[in-house]
Amino acid sequence: MSLVALSELLGATVRDASGTVRGRVREVAIAPGEHPTRIAFLLVHTPDGERVLPAASLKSAGPTVRTIDDSARWDRFSPSDGVLLLKRDLLDQQIIDVHGRKVVRVNDVELDSTPVNSHLDLSVIAVDVGARGAIRRLTKGVVPSFTMRALLERIPPRVIPWQYVDLLETDPSRRVKLKIVYEGLSKLHPADIADIVEDLPPAEREAVFETIDEEVAAEALEELDPKVQVSIVESLDSDRAADIVEEMDPDAAADLLEKLPEDRSGQILKEMEPEERIEVSQLLEFGKNTAAGRMTTEFIAVADNLTVTDAIDALKKFEGTREALATIYIYDVAYRITGAVPLVKIALSAPDARLWALREEAVTCYPDTPDDEVAGLFDKYNLVTLAVIDQDQRLAGIITADDVITMLRHAK
Amino acid sequence: MRSWLKSWKARLLLVLAVVGPGFITANVDNDAGGIFTYSQAGAQFGYTLLWTMIPITIALIVVQEMCARLGAVTGKGLSDLIREEFGFRITFFVMVTLVITNYGNIVAEFAGIASSLQLFGWSKYIVVPVCALLVWGLVVRGTYASIEKIFLTASAFYVCYIIAGVLAHPDWKAAFFATVTRPEASGIRNYGYLFTVVGLIGTTIAPWMQFYLQASVVEKGITAKQYRASRWDVILGCVFTDVVAWFIIVACAATLYATRHYNIGSAADAAQALRPLAGEYAYLLFAFGLFNASFFAASVLPISTAYAVCEGLGFESGLDKKFHEAPVFYWLYTVLIVVGAGALLIPRLPLIYVSVLSQVVNGVVLPFVLIFMLLLTNDRELMGEHTNSRTFNVIAWTTVVVVILMTLAMFFDRRQSNESPGASSMTRTPAALTS
Repeated sequence: MSLVALSELLGATVRDASGTVRGRVREVAIAPGEHPTRIAFLLVHTPDGERVLPAASLKSAGPTVRTIDDSARWDRFSPSDGVLLLKRDLLDQQIIDVHGRKVVRVNDVELDSTPVNSHLDLSVIAVDVGARGAIRRLTKGVVPSFTMRALLERIPPRVIPWQYVDLLETDPSRRVKLKIVYEGLSKLHPADIADIVEDLPPAEREAVFETIDEEVAAEALEELDPKVQVSIVESLDSDRAADIVEEMDPDAAADLLEKLPEDRSGQILKEMEPEERIEVSQLLEFGKNTAAGRMTTEFIAVADNLTVTDAIDALKKFEGTREALATIYIYDVAYRITGAVPLVKIALSAPDARLWALREEAVTCYPDTPDDEVAGLFDKYNLVTLAVIDQDQRLAGIITADDVITMLRHAK
Repeated sequence: MRSWLKSWKARLLLVLAVVGPGFITANVDNDAGGIFTYSQAGAQFGYTLLWTMIPITIALIVVQEMCARLGAVTGKGLSDLIREEFGFRITFFVMVTLVITNYGNIVAEFAGIASSLQLFGWSKYIVVPVCALLVWGLVVRGTYASIEKIFLTASAFYVCYIIAGVLAHPDWKAAFFATVTRPEASGIRNYGYLFTVVGLIGTTIAPWMQFYLQASVVEKGITAKQYRASRWDVILGCVFTDVVAWFIIVACAATLYATRHYNIGSAADAAQALRPLAGEYAYLLFAFGLFNASFFAASVLPISTAYAVCEGLGFESGLDKKFHEAPVFYWLYTVLIVVGAGALLIPRLPLIYVSVLSQVVNGVVLPFVLIFMLLLTNDRELMGEHTNSRTFNVIAWTTVVVVILMTLAMFFDRRQSNESPGASSMTRTPAALTS
């Protein structure tokens, strides 16, 4: 096997079986529908128009491309959405480096050529984002390629293996045909996804949020700058936006919807599942810089006469954020809050222990408690969660420490 | 009365909401190089060069509008687009040219800082390094964003030129006719004349502005849908820039040219244009305005150059990155400031001449940047329905051709003329042109 750079291949003269020059390489194509990395064909510019040279007819590939058959057998090229053209779609474009967790620009593409039986197997193995590819392209045709090769060997390569490359494609139907699903990106931490998305132009951001799993999209959206959040949600259609907003933390969802134009947030609410819609619209009614605006209505509360086993059952069924798991709230027959049990105590106690016996006094505030007092309570009692109660002493929601940190940072 | 006031207020708010990238770019555009070039044009040629203002304004509006539209429609910077559409090699040469041209402008900004503070007798060997350090720190520490409004407010200084222009009792009729009549053909054979005209074009439609404006539009997140409002911001900014430019030329013509001070050798000379307004204190006012303009632009130029180059060539960029994460970005930014300010430490450097020269280089480079912009704005695959109209194409291509022809004529004249090139050519009295 040996390495060939895309930039060496582009413009290379093509000689057929008889050794006659037939044209020059104009494009190198992959058909992701057939094979994810193997080159399907080269596009050759001949005096007779653009011709498709199937990869199976290749004998050697480099500054000169040799083929095993005659050019008369090469089909005419008709553009198709389903093929990835390496020069047009990849070279000089931005891609997501999933491993390095950032957006980078492609300087060159590295192909591997391995002789198989009578022909050559060409496949993409990595993209070059470093100085090697840059200098190769800068000097191409100016400095003889064999001297250049020796020089370039000395430059430490900066390449991204093909499996860590996520392509950016803004056309939805083409994305489907090219099988671009942002698999690698989706596996990253939501905060990293958010960082990457912030570096992308608007159309590419939209593409990512249209494609990735709703749950991942929701978490990543929460991590984004509010301005960017709004522009992304505005660019999505209401149906898709609603799917994502549903998966968000209700308080984050309410914050986001509040910033959207009213008709737009109305549309999104309408598309949401009834349960989530009610929660979010309740939050929307409260003031922004108060406990109610900061709280989430997804929390764990169980009757105080139950046992640790019951609490663990409730934990297992809970679908809210992990931060809300830190405390289990307990209530009496009239649903009035009677105490709080930290998760640690649940873990350390016998399964049949009564929650009532494990309780600590719950620190509480009211829905209209302003932000700075909320922060004060967290500071004073070293809280992880704070209970928000109504006039009847019933739990309305909880505020988690991570929201307070965000709030304090934004207040600065 | 009340309702009138209310609607007036509402209208003002509407305008203020739109004031953004276009207006800021316009203000940065009236930088040290700009002030000196306009002043020189007025002092040396009187009203003769006022004819350039209307065509320059039209070209400026068309060019800036194209940039803002490119930014709004694609959401990408100009260097990103050049890279994606024209490949690595072309981008590399565009970026090298941009760095050289912008370097000249950075030197001009520090020359502005040096000469403004020279009016107080402060040595440039002290103020230039201090200001360079200040600029570097302000931007890297992120304090720049919060003080941008102070610079912008201080730009109201330009109003002084309008008042001074009026108080100098210029020959309004002559100034007006000079603005609308066609230029005299003999100018084409005069090196000094063409040098100044190319400088006027280069300072008003500077290449770096196109990169900066487009980046600001993208940064602000303006999309194709909101673009209509943003267009007014651009037009307003362009008109403001050129109204100020017109008055600087008129003020200098009415004061310096009228008293046969044809050559501006120092900031003290240029400050004389404000005499009708401030009398003995003209130099104070001038020093303040020039310092603000120079410092403002000195804060913007190196960083926007570093962004453009790194984005085009694919290096990590951004002030949110650490030094080791984006070394090229930070090094380029730092070197531009250090070497830019460092040039000022050369003894007996002709500050004003260097400033004007950098603007002439802007003019020479401009057509090439415009060609790329024209190819991009006419690319249907990229712009969709937002491609250029025919009128825009005609105006922009005309600008390209005219500026290239003028540049060629300028170099031709220079080879023809026997006098030594450079500073002395600006000192020649253009008696033949004004008769």
